[in-house]
Amino acid sequence: MQIIIQGLLLSGLYALIAMGFTLIFSVGRVLNLAYGAYLLIGGYVYFTISQTFGVPKLIGLLLAAVVGCLVGLLKYRLLVKPLKGDHVAVEISTLILAVVLQAGVVFLYGDSSKILLPIVPGVTHVAGASVTYNLLAATFASWAILIGLYLFVRKTHVGRAMQAVSMDNRGAAISGVDPDKINLFTWGLSGALGATAGVFFASYTQLSPSMWVAPLIISVAVVIVGGIGSIIGTLVVAHIVGFMEVLAVAVIAPELRGVFTMLLIIVVLVIRPQGLFGREEL
Amino acid sequence: MAFLEVAKLNAFYGKAQALHDVSLTVNAGEIIAIVGANGAGKSTLLDSIMGLTRISGDIRLEDQSLVGLGSAAIVKKGVGYAPERFNLFPYMSVRDNLLVGAYTARDDIRKNLATVHKLFPRLEERKNQETSTQSGGERQMVSLGRALMTSPRLLLVDEPTIGLAPKICVEIAEALTKMRDELGATIVITEQNANFAMTLAERLYVLESGHIKAQGTVDELRNDKRLTEAYFGH
Repeated sequence: MQIIIQGLLLSGLYALIAMGFTLIFSVGRVLNLAYGAYLLIGGYVYFTISQTFGVPKLIGLLLAAVVGCLVGLLKYRLLVKPLKGDHVAVEISTLILAVVLQAGVVFLYGDSSKILLPIVPGVTHVAGASVTYNLLAATFASWAILIGLYLFVRKTHVGRAMQAVSMDNRGAAISGVDPDKINLFTWGLSGALGATAGVFFASYTQLSPSMWVAPLIISVAVVIVGGIGSIIGTLVVAHIVGFMEVLAVAVIAPELRGVFTMLLIIVVLVIRPQGLFGREEL
Repeated sequence: MAFLEVAKLNAFYGKAQALHDVSLTVNAGEIIAIVGANGAGKSTLLDSIMGLTRISGDIRLEDQSLVGLGSAAIVKKGVGYAPERFNLFPYMSVRDNLLVGAYTARDDIRKNLATVHKLFPRLEERKNQETSTQSGGERQMVSLGRALMTSPRLLLVDEPTIGLAPKICVEIAEALTKMRDELGATIVITEQNANFAMTLAERLYVLESGHIKAQGTVDELRNDKRLTEAYFGH
């Protein structure tokens, strides 16, 4: 029971983490290896504003999302757009950018990890399993954001334009959609999602300059295992990854937490390179 | 003043030049056809009007230059495009494909959707079907429908009948004529099939290896050997 509840909660958080990465991969066809840095930035912005300066938590969360969004917009304009079309160059430079940002965080905040106080303090018991309100809140927030995102992509003009660009760039352009603007928008949205996920992720684990790596691996796993991502596909695969981790920790050993995720990436790459749900849609 | 005026157009793909000094005019309410063999530059010509190629020369719609505008801005000026490969969104429903076409014409959605469904009733019956599972004829209808959703005054249609069954060709031709007669659209089509082009268009331009080789009304060109030369060589 404990495993099911923990698995569900963790998977909800993972879905939120992977969503922003999937969006960029679907719409821009770019692997943004600096994606984990949004979580890093989000976590530290929230830490600074709400924990150091004592600003209300909700405002801290919002500001983290805004900063993440700005970083995303800048990254598209200054890095991805000038390198347009050269995927390897984008991947190398985004990975480097993540390392640079990590160094920046070490410089400003020091090397040691920090504890982020729970956003919602308290613990409850569900069917004998102890569940922190914090993880519960993270999961609810993540479901709310994912449902909102799903409706946005399916039901609005901009959302449909995002799907259109993800499937046929040229078709979108001759329909009056400017793919460049849609890409810019998606980068901003992805940054905001990543930073928001970062606050929840940091409050679930801890705040450290290297906290961008694990979420990046989760996100890559979700995209590779799920195929080019639909929102539903992301949700499903996030649950596969989440439950695998919880099971690995509970049944085998906590040290092996992320190992199975990485092995899954390799297995899927070899057996089914197009992903389990592989088709190009958003 | 012509509705559409293309003047001394040169178009390039990378270093290769695909069009040489192409000039043509289209009057409001006309249907004209660009005929020529495979590789003559027909698609390049339409792509260039849509701002999808690198060009020199001038393209004017109602005396306003389209040169340097992006495709989205050109769509907004009233140019609709149904390209040869359709460029549909394969995993979206017919209806969502049409709605993407309405991106710049959101106030006309209801009216345009009714028009499209009247022209192609099959699109209303199959509105929830993904276009990846549709036949070539149905995709052509979605493609034309999506172009109509942009509220175009000038409609560019690349090879409207390529690969389609004769019965569907007739349907498409009827729809194009209705678009002109009932919606007041000016239409430019490209065709490999000169006979089909002559049943639909009033005037033809013959394109060969990126050059305009002949132009005139259907009657003037019907027995012109330059028309056959464009297909079979000299």
